[in-house]
Amino acid sequence: MSGLLQHINFPGEEIPWLRDMRCRAAAAFASAGVPTAKVEAWKYTKPRGLNTNDFVVSLPSSQLTKVKPKLPFEAYTIYFENGIFNPALSNLPQGVEVLPLIEALMFRPEIRPLVNAETDFAAYPFAALNTAYLNEGVFIRIDSRVELKKKLAIIYHTDAAGRNLLCNLHNLVILEEGASAELVEYYCYDGELKSRYLTNVVNEFYLRRGAFLHHYKVQNEAFKAAHIALNLVDVAKDGGYCAFCLQKGADIARNETRVRLKDEGASAEVDAVYVMNGWATLDTTTDIEHLAPCTVSHQLVKGVVGGNAKGVFQGKIHIAPGAVRTEGTQLHKALLLTDAAEVDVKPELEIFADDVKCSHGAASGELDEEQLFYMRSRGIGEGEARQLLIDAYLDDAISKIEDENIARWITLEAK
Amino acid sequence: MTTPLLEIEDLHARVCDKEIVKGFNLTINEGEVHAIMGPNGAGKSTLSNILCGKPGYEVTSGSVRFKGKDLLAMSPEERAREGIFLAMQYPVEIPGVPVTTFLKHAVNAVRKHRGEPELDTMEFIKMVREEGYKFKLDAEMIKRPVNVGFSGGEKKRLEVLQMAILKPDFAILDEADSGLDIDALKLVADGVNTLRDGHRAMLIITHFQRLLSHVVPDFVHVYANGHIVKSGGKELARELEEKGYAEFEKEA
Repeated sequence: MSGLLQHINFPGEEIPWLRDMRCRAAAAFASAGVPTAKVEAWKYTKPRGLNTNDFVVSLPSSQLTKVKPKLPFEAYTIYFENGIFNPALSNLPQGVEVLPLIEALMFRPEIRPLVNAETDFAAYPFAALNTAYLNEGVFIRIDSRVELKKKLAIIYHTDAAGRNLLCNLHNLVILEEGASAELVEYYCYDGELKSRYLTNVVNEFYLRRGAFLHHYKVQNEAFKAAHIALNLVDVAKDGGYCAFCLQKGADIARNETRVRLKDEGASAEVDAVYVMNGWATLDTTTDIEHLAPCTVSHQLVKGVVGGNAKGVFQGKIHIAPGAVRTEGTQLHKALLLTDAAEVDVKPELEIFADDVKCSHGAASGELDEEQLFYMRSRGIGEGEARQLLIDAYLDDAISKIEDENIARWITLEAK
Repeated sequence: MTTPLLEIEDLHARVCDKEIVKGFNLTINEGEVHAIMGPNGAGKSTLSNILCGKPGYEVTSGSVRFKGKDLLAMSPEERAREGIFLAMQYPVEIPGVPVTTFLKHAVNAVRKHRGEPELDTMEFIKMVREEGYKFKLDAEMIKRPVNVGFSGGEKKRLEVLQMAILKPDFAILDEADSGLDIDALKLVADGVNTLRDGHRAMLIITHFQRLLSHVVPDFVHVYANGHIVKSGGKELARELEEKGYAEFEKEA
């Protein structure tokens, strides 16, 4: 039995469906516990230091009063403080359904089947933990053929000073037929760099026929924080999911993305960069399932690892029987800045169909001494020269972002 | 008497335990253009790399003073900021770093060191465009990553462009003519000549005499077996071209 489970009377306990799901999830988490290195999916990223009684579920009293972080582009905002939705600080779009998930689940029974529809709690212990405490998070629904004009940003602002909070969040996003939106997630902290807290977030995205979602994420949690994110994406015919994630914060973090390309013409672009130092472990895990013919996925992940840090990339492409004429590519590259820096890479291709185009590749290297000397011989300081080369290294990944404002923001955040 | 710009005294250096420079002496004053000629494999490039502080070379004895300061104690970037420039034999390609970004960082590092204000982007772009025009490097080329996809001649012209922009007090041209056809050679040589202003000193390292008929040196030194075996005026270059290096190597 893991010490993480506390008994809390969350809203919605009177709804049998919700109560049952929470109980089922709590039981699953209690039996599996925080995964150890013996669990294959967590072999390289050991969730060390999480298996304690120290974490306390964040409740509304945990709100902070500090200055709200600003994003350098225009956006609607959904603002969470220490894992708690703050409507007063949010700026919600008109004509789009945005409400706390718990309210949506209480009053909109028809969306209930979408929550954890295909999540096996035994395989995803943190999703089990997340559901055991299912309460915070938002429900967003964008109607057919509506194009959200401005970006929609979710800001997760945490201080957690001395409180070891568990910020447990679950978002459910539906883009109806032909709808399109740009969703930004920004995880940031205030005050104590050494705050210890755990962000455990599950995003479920349902992209209906022809819908298109851009999903940009910057994970800049405090230095001692832990961040576990699971993005579950369901893409219907001709729909598209295009994600870019920058991870740079936290002591231990995983950004896991599972995409199901369910019908012909569905596509996914799942790109990421990570920049790390110290003793951190930052993990990017993907699982792209091609479940129908003529589906396309591309992944480009690039990392810069310094200090004693460890980057992990586990990338899976699954092509189901009958998913012919599909294309799946994957490339991971890492730059190791020190001898103690490490990357662990596990590509997996599962191909059960003929007539497919599939590829994966991985490479790691160091900064080029000749390039460094060339720059220094022109008067550029060593630190500055290294940074220019690191920026250049990440540039081909970041330049895949079409939106100039986002690309500029991520370039700055990656420094 | 004024302090010489560069004073190299009894320099010994090795690479991977192999002694390559053996008792090298050279003094260069402001405004002088020197040429060092020598057979391939004599270690001419080693000398230029040591002067610029490239890692991997070990100076075992001797001294190098630049403007009276101990050059060997400085990092490569400090040497550049003090006014040393090396036009490289094989300029390095840097994918992902545009020429303009690279040059702006370099120019502002040097200006900052000299106590001059840093240039803003507009001033900088204007200057690079004007200088680039002189070396037939157009606006499109200077947006490209450093040396990536540049021909041999373009790379050499970019080296001279950098020299023109960074305005060093002392420039070393390491095999600046290698791989150039006659037109490209003339363009590079003309560029170098316009930078020869009576104050700036230069050290031209070359195997052949052909660059020296365009950029005429004040002094020519023959370098063999790790040190200078003969020094003379510009006529020495022609003599070498006729006789070859063989007899100097014997003397050494």
